Amino acid sequence: MSDFREERINYNYMKVARLLLYGVLAVLGIAVLTSILNMILLVSAAGVYVNTDSHYIYGGDVMEALTVTENGYALSEDMAAEFERENQWAMLLDDDGQVIWSIRKPEELDEEYSRSEIARMSRWYLKGYPVHMRVWDDRIMIVGMQKDAMWKYNLEFSISWMVFLKRTILAFFFINFLWIVVLAFCFTRRFAKKRELARIEWIAGISHDIRTPLSMVMGYADTLEHSEKLSEEARQQAAVIRHQSVVMKELISDLNLTSQLEYSMQALRKEEVRPAEIVRSVAAAFLNDSIPGMLEIDVEVDERGEQTVVKADRQLLVRAFRNLINNSVKHGGQMDAVKIRIAMWVEKRKCCIRLEDNGVGYSEEILCRLRGRKKENAAESIRGLEIVSKVILAHGGKIWFGNCEEGGSYCVIVLRMVDLRDRLNYT
Amino acid sequence: MNLYDCKILLVDDEKALREMVCGFLRHAGFRHVMMAENCKTAEEQFLIEEPHLILLDVMLPDGDGFSLFKKLRQTSEVPVIFLSARDEDENRLRGLGLGADDYITKPFLPEELTLRVTAVLKRVYRVKSMQEEEIIALGKCQVDLGSGVVRWNRDSENSVADGKRDGVNGADRETMLTAKEYAILQKLAQERGRIVTIDALCDAVWQEENYGYENTLVVHIRRLREKIEEDPSHPQYLLTVRGLGYRLV
Repeated sequence: MSDFREERINYNYMKVARLLLYGVLAVLGIAVLTSILNMILLVSAAGVYVNTDSHYIYGGDVMEALTVTENGYALSEDMAAEFERENQWAMLLDDDGQVIWSIRKPEELDEEYSRSEIARMSRWYLKGYPVHMRVWDDRIMIVGMQKDAMWKYNLEFSISWMVFLKRTILAFFFINFLWIVVLAFCFTRRFAKKRELARIEWIAGISHDIRTPLSMVMGYADTLEHSEKLSEEARQQAAVIRHQSVVMKELISDLNLTSQLEYSMQALRKEEVRPAEIVRSVAAAFLNDSIPGMLEIDVEVDERGEQTVVKADRQLLVRAFRNLINNSVKHGGQMDAVKIRIAMWVEKRKCCIRLEDNGVGYSEEILCRLRGRKKENAAESIRGLEIVSKVILAHGGKIWFGNCEEGGSYCVIVLRMVDLRDRLNYT
Repeated sequence: MNLYDCKILLVDDEKALREMVCGFLRHAGFRHVMMAENCKTAEEQFLIEEPHLILLDVMLPDGDGFSLFKKLRQTSEVPVIFLSARDEDENRLRGLGLGADDYITKPFLPEELTLRVTAVLKRVYRVKSMQEEEIIALGKCQVDLGSGVVRWNRDSENSVADGKRDGVNGADRETMLTAKEYAILQKLAQERGRIVTIDALCDAVWQEENYGYENTLVVHIRRLREKIEEDPSHPQYLLTVRGLGYRLV
């Protein structure tokens, strides 16, 4: 069994991983885009604000522009003009709360302030006028604006809260990020599902539309092939048309089935089936339709393999085995007869089926594609084998493809079996 | 009633396909084939002609084949074979348990169509086609499937098998097949030249729940060989296909 230990194809796992990746990428993309957008908005808004030319005057600036003269205080002309322009006012209080200098001070304001009044206005408003305060040695500079020109609020947090915030802020962001990822993932999946559904329907529609005309091609080609009025050559040609139309029929239904299986749209009609019986009937059908001597199928089923029962969609399992044997027939037996060996046994309570042929074997590229490592390279069609994989995986089984050392290819299928003890109770 | 006297109603909206299928059936020998292009005319035809079998397309311009089928089933037990162009229909047909007699997925070969039509008609009306062989010739031995009798031609007085089987010389020797042997031989004769798997044979002999009868089948085959083969240990006609089943040549 050592050569079976190769990478297992798991489409479902890959599908989920891919979707998750899309989700994360989508979140990152959205985050980056949002940041860029916000920055642009902020910068342009700031630009607009700057252009409106509305600043306000700081107490420090006023103090710098204020000089002490013999006649009291004098403000530089530039600063005085700025007060005019900004429609602001200012006053200077001494240590006793007396106004010792002012510019454009509203008339309703007093000339003297008590300590409690100063304390009250220090953080808020003075009679509805928003004010800033700056202590200058033993004097207090108050720069005010017109009513309703400024919104003020006092922020205060306990230290313990800030420490807690510092500790939890990372987790907080992480949870946020996770939530957005999940949300984006759901949206992506929904969107992807919708798109897939449309594609499946489109394929189903196309295959439906092709079938009716193909019926006519197939039917009349068959009639011509058996017509006695035609020459041998013409009958041969009709036979080719008929044969190729059968190939087309298989292609169409493969295409349809692939798309249905890919997105798990096909509900499995599971029933208890005996794989041994299915393998035999498929093999017999191939032998019956083959030219005598050109195909050998050796089926070996051991005692326990014979008893094996699995829960599976019979039709799909038949299809899988048919595709496998068909592949061996198509690519097998250089020069001489195609030889296929099918063995069935039970190992570790699983039903194992091994099929090998004497054909050309799988190319490195096809093996890569079958193992799901490489995609979308249509140099050679492996749709038939992909269906085999998908059918087996859809049944919760495992499948390996590989090349035999002595030439030819092999395929091992492992299926979960119905417990024989249950089976005994059942019958 | 002869098989080819059976009336067949073909319902399909595609004119070209209708004509083609009709041609196939006529070619196969069916003399009475009627056609309808939609549910409405199908119902009318059904009432007037009382066909023995209906070939019904699933997609029709004025409704789908399934509902027409259900409607017909309310009044009649006429066998119906569905024609379908979608794989999905196959699931519905299998899953719904509509009780349709068979279905054919487009595209199909004429042979497939006539085989299925014939099979359903034979099963439902127990009619026989004219070509059907009643007597199987296996060298010096002839098996009459009508009566289940095996007759040996007495030309070969010296044959080892004859001497062994009975001591009576002269008159043609006749043996009867048991029911099981008969069923096996009938199945093999139906598929003469083709491999019939062990499972298919068990199905034919024991019908349902036949698992585990493989060994018994081997015993029946041996007895059957003793009756029809000159040398049962080196069979000439009833051949074993290793690992798969048996074949009658």
